[in-house]
Amino acid sequence: MIVAHVRGHHTRPEELDEHARASWLGRIDPRAKIIGVVVFVVAAALLTRTELILASLSLAVAFAAMSQVPYRHLARMYLGALPFILVASASVALFAGLERGFDMWARTSSCVIALLVLASGTETFELFSGLRRLGVPKLVSTLLMLTYKYVLILGDELARMKTARRARGFKGGRSILDRRSLDVIGNTAGMVFVRASARADDGYEGLRSRGFRSDMKLMRAPRLRAGDIAFVAWFACVSSILAAVQLGGVG
Amino acid sequence: MHIPDGLMDPLVAGLGWLEFAVVAAIAVYLSGRKLRDKDLPRVAVLCAGVFVAQMLNFPIGGGTTGHLIGGALLAIMVGPVTAIVGMTVVLLIQALMFGDGGLTAFGLNAVNMAVIAPLAGWGVYTIVKPLVSRGTAGPGKAFTPGEAFAIGAGAWASVFVAAAACAAELAVSYAISDGAYGIAATVSIPAMLGYHAVIGVGEAIITVGVAAYVLRVSPQMFKSTNREPAKAAGLRGMLSSRIVQATAAVSVVFALALPLYFLYSSEGADGLEMTMEDAGVAESEPLLTSPFSYGETYFAAFFAGILGFLAVGLAGLFVMKVLEVRRPAE
Repeated sequence: MIVAHVRGHHTRPEELDEHARASWLGRIDPRAKIIGVVVFVVAAALLTRTELILASLSLAVAFAAMSQVPYRHLARMYLGALPFILVASASVALFAGLERGFDMWARTSSCVIALLVLASGTETFELFSGLRRLGVPKLVSTLLMLTYKYVLILGDELARMKTARRARGFKGGRSILDRRSLDVIGNTAGMVFVRASARADDGYEGLRSRGFRSDMKLMRAPRLRAGDIAFVAWFACVSSILAAVQLGGVG
Repeated sequence: MHIPDGLMDPLVAGLGWLEFAVVAAIAVYLSGRKLRDKDLPRVAVLCAGVFVAQMLNFPIGGGTTGHLIGGALLAIMVGPVTAIVGMTVVLLIQALMFGDGGLTAFGLNAVNMAVIAPLAGWGVYTIVKPLVSRGTAGPGKAFTPGEAFAIGAGAWASVFVAAAACAAELAVSYAISDGAYGIAATVSIPAMLGYHAVIGVGEAIITVGVAAYVLRVSPQMFKSTNREPAKAAGLRGMLSSRIVQATAAVSVVFALALPLYFLYSSEGADGLEMTMEDAGVAESEPLLTSPFSYGETYFAAFFAGILGFLAVGLAGLFVMKVLEVRRPAE
């Protein structure tokens, strides 16, 4: 099983897609979701007034609650990001006061929650196809798709290698001066690259046989529906109000 | 080193996006010309390898751990331009799929880890290698001790310079937003540089280990995606020189810092001016009046900085060219 990321929270990637299929959010066009969430995140990141930051956090939490993505799953992913948010907030609190530290935590959290809902409420390859349709270059979108496919395979291999290392008594070492531990970690990482490379040619032949010609084929009709437009309009409206109050000093 | 949304001042985050957009457009164009369809899965598996290698934590001491960034490793294996695209892809997956690193801060994260880390790492490796590498590798060895040192130096520099850029961005955000964003320089600079100086040592040891392992077991991995440029004459020949390319890579890292520096530069007196003021010494009329000035506004100072940067770069190239002409034929 792949360890979802360096933060160490365990999530099977196929679980992410399961949530997307079960949610109404999964039926919204990925372009609409990306644009809507990006507009909200940009507006939320601009806010400096505490009451507006709390409003954006409430909106992000409401979006998460309405998304039908299980709250336990979202909470687990949020907990993975929390240490980074807390370090930044604590540093600000230390030098600029508790209120600003709190603002930092709330502002960053509202952006992270909106992003996690987007990621969990969208099938992975739908997300990549949305990026491609929004103008991300062919090279980047193709590499995104292929890299993600290989990350799943190599993550599983790494997990097996870690289990084998533990079975042989390797405990991770004590410090950076522990030469043997670093040798083992270096060899493990080297093996990941070699195994990755060995799969590349087979992978390429497999893709060619399925009609791959260096760009992703977009299967869904590209027209946006009323629901997609309403989704973007709602986020654009809410974000504009937040930004207008912040910049105009209204209220 | 992943910056979340809401931590950076919007101006600094916007600057990061602008810099990233320019560098990424150039990198995508150059990589698109260099890579064939057949190379794409190989580059993708190496990117996936970097992503997965980032899950391998190594011990720092005192119960803390660090993890590989992999920018220098990828740049040494596939070349700096493809590494920029590859690391961008890794960061995009982390930001979009795992919420690691924000969207508004993605430009800065990409500048630090997808542009500065590979360019600084590859630049230092390429410049140091001919200086320290002598002879051939011994039996059973992947490379000479000099080459190992060059790889390690590149890996350490990639982490340290990227961390320095991140610390500077945090400090500038704090300074220009009056504390609403960022982290004070007194905290961000010593903490980031101190911690990453040690993490860089771990990155260096592991990068050397990975490179040695890969070279022993699968040497074609280095050759297939990082082909040597064809020999050419004149300006084209000079631009295809690895040393000139490495110098350009390090120059790009400095150039990326310029806009940030001008945001932070103070309008107050410098050390000498303060001393003169304290001593009551007045500045007399200059013997020579320069036709240029640094300007009063941000953009004027920034433009003057770019002009100065280009002038020094061109002067350096001219000196190199003169030395090249005067060197006796071998």
